[in-house]
Amino acid sequence: MAPKPKDMKDDFWKSKDIKISIGEIEEKDTKKMGEEVPMGPTPKPHVTDLRSWDMKLLDRYEPFYAPFCDMCCLCTFGKCDLTEKKGACGIDSAAQQARIVLLACNIGTAAHAGHARHLVDHLINDFGADYPIDLGMNIDIEAPLIRTLMGKKPEKLGDLREVISYVEEQMSHLLSACHTGQEGSSLDFESKALHSGMMDDLAREVGDIAQIVALNMPKGDENAPLVELGVGTIDAKKPVVLCIGHNVLPGAGIMDYLDETGQEEDLEVCGICCAAIDVTRYNDRAKVVGPLSKQLKFIRSGIADVIVVDEQCIRTDVLEEALNKNCAVIATTDKMCLGLPDMTREDTDKIVSKLVNKEIPGALILDSEKVGEVSVKVAKILAPEREKLKFLPELDEIQKMASDCTECGWCNRVCPNSKPMMEAVVAASKGDFSKFQELYEYDVCYSCGRCEQECERDLPLMDFVTKVGEHFVKDEKFSIRAGRGPVQDVEIRRVGAPLVLGDIPGVIAFVGCSNYPDGGKEVAEMAKEFLERNYIVVATGCGAMSIGEYKDEEGKTLYEQYSGDFDARGLVNMGSCVSNAHISGACIKIANIFAKKPLEGNFEEIADYILNRVGACGVAWGAYSQKAAAIATGVNRWGIPVVIGPHGSKYRRLYLGRADKKDNWKIKDLRTGKIMDGEPAPEHLIYAAETVEESMPMIAKLCIRPNDTAKGRQIKLNHYIDLYKRYFGVLPPDINLFVRNDKDIPITHKKEVKDLLEEVGWEPREIPQEPSLMGLDGD
Amino acid sequence: MNERVIPWQPTVIAGPKQALLVTPETAEMMIVKAKRPLIVVGPLINDNPAQVLVSKIAEKWNIPIVSTGDAFKSLTEAGVPSKSYGLVEIVNLLKDPEWKGVSGEGNHDLVLFIGVIYYMGSQGLSTLKHFAPHLKTLTLCKFFHSNADASFPNMKDEEWLKYLEKLAKID
Repeated sequence: MAPKPKDMKDDFWKSKDIKISIGEIEEKDTKKMGEEVPMGPTPKPHVTDLRSWDMKLLDRYEPFYAPFCDMCCLCTFGKCDLTEKKGACGIDSAAQQARIVLLACNIGTAAHAGHARHLVDHLINDFGADYPIDLGMNIDIEAPLIRTLMGKKPEKLGDLREVISYVEEQMSHLLSACHTGQEGSSLDFESKALHSGMMDDLAREVGDIAQIVALNMPKGDENAPLVELGVGTIDAKKPVVLCIGHNVLPGAGIMDYLDETGQEEDLEVCGICCAAIDVTRYNDRAKVVGPLSKQLKFIRSGIADVIVVDEQCIRTDVLEEALNKNCAVIATTDKMCLGLPDMTREDTDKIVSKLVNKEIPGALILDSEKVGEVSVKVAKILAPEREKLKFLPELDEIQKMASDCTECGWCNRVCPNSKPMMEAVVAASKGDFSKFQELYEYDVCYSCGRCEQECERDLPLMDFVTKVGEHFVKDEKFSIRAGRGPVQDVEIRRVGAPLVLGDIPGVIAFVGCSNYPDGGKEVAEMAKEFLERNYIVVATGCGAMSIGEYKDEEGKTLYEQYSGDFDARGLVNMGSCVSNAHISGACIKIANIFAKKPLEGNFEEIADYILNRVGACGVAWGAYSQKAAAIATGVNRWGIPVVIGPHGSKYRRLYLGRADKKDNWKIKDLRTGKIMDGEPAPEHLIYAAETVEESMPMIAKLCIRPNDTAKGRQIKLNHYIDLYKRYFGVLPPDINLFVRNDKDIPITHKKEVKDLLEEVGWEPREIPQEPSLMGLDGD
Repeated sequence: MNERVIPWQPTVIAGPKQALLVTPETAEMMIVKAKRPLIVVGPLINDNPAQVLVSKIAEKWNIPIVSTGDAFKSLTEAGVPSKSYGLVEIVNLLKDPEWKGVSGEGNHDLVLFIGVIYYMGSQGLSTLKHFAPHLKTLTLCKFFHSNADASFPNMKDEEWLKYLEKLAKID
C-alpha cells in the first residue's frame, strides 16, 4: 500500500514546551543500531541470563497453583493423575502447572511474535528495510524495550527483523523446555514463563512500532481522534465489511481500496476486537463494533455482508456462522485458513464471482490489497441480495419457540458465569423480554454460545439475545479515542517525579479481553473511579472498548469527558493488544528519563526500579487468552503487578506475596548499603479477585511502593482506606503494614488509623532512600 | 449419572478423584471430628437466608469465619463477625502447613466453604486437593463441588436451606 501523507496532527509542538524537549532529545540521541554504547550486563538475554532476578521475584511472590486439571495428557505414558502423586515421567503437580503456564505463555508470545513478524516482513516489502523509525519529535526513546533488551536503538524497519529473530530464537528454547523429560522444577518453569512473557512484550513493541511508523498511525498523540463505537453506529443500509481479529493489514487494504476508488462514503467498514482498534488508528472513518464479547451476536445479526478474518481470538466456527447468514468469509493469514481454497493468485473478479455465486464457501487471500478489492466488491453485490433476507426471529416467534423450553436448567449450568438464561427463556415464553435485555446490555452474556450447544430443544438462544438487543437497545452509539500508541517523553518528564514520589497515586492499566464475570460495565466503572481519584488510566484492546461503551447521565463516554494525556485524570487509549508494550515501555522510560538509569542491556536495574518505585498496576478483568497470560507474565517480570478477574484463576498460577512473613520483604537501601525491613509493597504480582468490590481497594493497594514520599504515601493510603471502607465498611486491617511513620497517616483518617496502630502495637520504622532487591542474599 | 453429583458447572471435573457426597449428618460428623475447623464464606450468599444459618453453624461449634470477595460487609451488616481475606489469599495460607490459622493456634484441619463464586471456588479447592494434604475440605453450597473432599449435592434452594438448618440445629 502507498505511504500516507504525514498527518500534521502529529505535531505536538504547538502544545508542548519546545525548548526543554528539544534540548534533551538532542542530547540523548546517540545510541543507534550497530553503534557502540555503554552496555549493561545482559544484552539479548538468553533463557537463563535473568534467572537470578526471577528467583528474587519468585522468592517473594511464590507461585500459587490451582490445577485446572488433575491429569497430564501430553505424552503416551499418560494420562497420569498428578493428585498427590508424580506422573510416569516423574513430574509433580506443581511442575506440571508451571509447565502448562509456560506453554500458555509460549502460545501467547508466538501469537504476538507471528503477528509482528508478518507486519515487519510485509511493511519492509512495501516500504523498504531502510524506512526510518520516527515516532515524531516528542518521542526520542522510541523503543524502550528494544533498547533495554537488545542494547540498541532501532533506526529503521529492517532493524526490527533482528529483534523478532531474537524473539523467535528464544521461543524455540522456551517451547523446547515444555517437552517431556526437560525441565523438572516448577520455579525454573516459572523463570522460563517470565522470559517468555518478556519476549512477548518485546514482540508486541516490534509489531506496534512497525505499524505506527509505516502506516502513519497516531504517534503518541494525546488528541487522537474520537472514533465511533457501537452496533448503532453502523449504517446497515450500506454494504458492510466486518474485520475480526488483530492484524491491521487486511483492514488497511480495505480502507485503501475505498479511498483509491472514491467509495469511502459507500461502504461501512467496522471491526471487532483489536483489528477494530488498529483499523481506526489507520483510518478514523472505520468503526468499532466493540470487544470480543460482541462477536457471535454481531455475526448472528446478519449486518455484515462480508467478514474478513485475520488472526487471534476469532471464533473458529466463524465460517459456519457466516454461511448461515449468507455472508461471505475471507481468511487472510496463515494463522487461520479455515479449510478455504487459496485464491491469492487468482484474478480478483474471478474470486468475486466465485464468492457471490457460492462456488466456494469462502476464500483464503494472503494479499491484503487483493482482500481490499475483493471484500468491497463482494459486499456491494451481496448487500442488496441480503437486504431481503431475514436473519433473526421476530419477538412473537421467539415467544412461541421459548414455550418449548423444558426448564432443564442446563443452559444456566454451562454458562461460564451461570447467568439466568433459562429464566430469560421462561419469561420470554410469557412475552416478557426484559431478562434477555439484561443479558444483552453491557454484554453480560458475552455470547460464547455454550447454552445453545446444550439446549435439548435446540433453541437458538444467541439469536434470541441478539434480536431482543436489536429491538430494545437500538441506540448503542458510543465513542472511543483512537489508540495513540506510546507515551511521549515530555509526558514522562512531566509525570515522572509525581509518580515516583507518589503525588500521582498510580498508573492503572485496563487491558485484555472481555471474559468478564458480569459484563463490561464493571470495567468502565472501575476506570471512572480511578480517573476521579487522579490516577493515570491507560487502556488497550477490549478493555479500552468496554470503557467506551459506558455513558454518564449526560450521555457522554469517558473518552469524551477525560483528556487523552498521560497525566493525572488522563484516559489514555494506547491501542490494541500489541500496544500493551507501551505500558511497560512507559515505566521503563520513567526509570530512564526521570531517574537517568541507563537502558542498554540493563534489565535488572530497570525492573528493580519499577518494582520498588513506579506505582503502576495492570487490571485484566476479563483476561481469557494465552496472549493475556503472556502479557501479564511479561509485565510481572518488569515488576508491575496485575489484578485479574475471577476467571483468571483458571490460568492455574498466581504470584502471591505473604504479608505475614516479615523476612520476605527485606530490602536493601542502595544509598546506605543497609539491608532493612521493608513492607509488602507491592503485595502481590498477579492476583485474582472474586468481585469488583474486592479488586478496587486491592488495585489501590498495589500502587503503593517503598519509595513513596510521606505526602505520596498519604495520598495512596487515603485512596486505599477510602475504597476499602466503601466496600468493606471498616478500616483496612493491614493498614499498619503501610504506615512507616506518623507522617504517612492520611489526615482525613488520622484518628482511626492511630487507634488501629496502637491496638496492634505498631512501631515506626526507617524509610529506605533507594529501595532495591539487588544486593540481597545471593548477589 | 445422578445429576445431583455432576459438578454444577460440569466442566470443572478435573480427574478421577471426586468429592464424597455428604448429607448434613455426615457433614456434622466431619465437623465434630475436626480439631480446628474454619468456615469460608463467599459473596454468593450476600443477603441470603443462608448467612444466618452459617452463623448458627459457626456458633454451634465455635468455628471462626473467613469472608471472601465482598462478603465481609454483608455478613457484618447481618451481625455475623468474620475476618476478610481474598479467596486466593486464604487458600494460599491454608495450603501452608506452618501457617498458624486465623486464631493463631495452628492451621485448620477442616475447611467448610459456602457461597464462593463457583468456578473460582473450584480452583481454590483444587489447590487444596493437590497441595494441602494436612486438611480436608467440605462444601456447603447448593452446588456439587467435585474438587472438594466432601460436598453437598446440587439442590434447589428449599432443600439446601433445610440441609443447612439441619446442620445448624442444636441437638
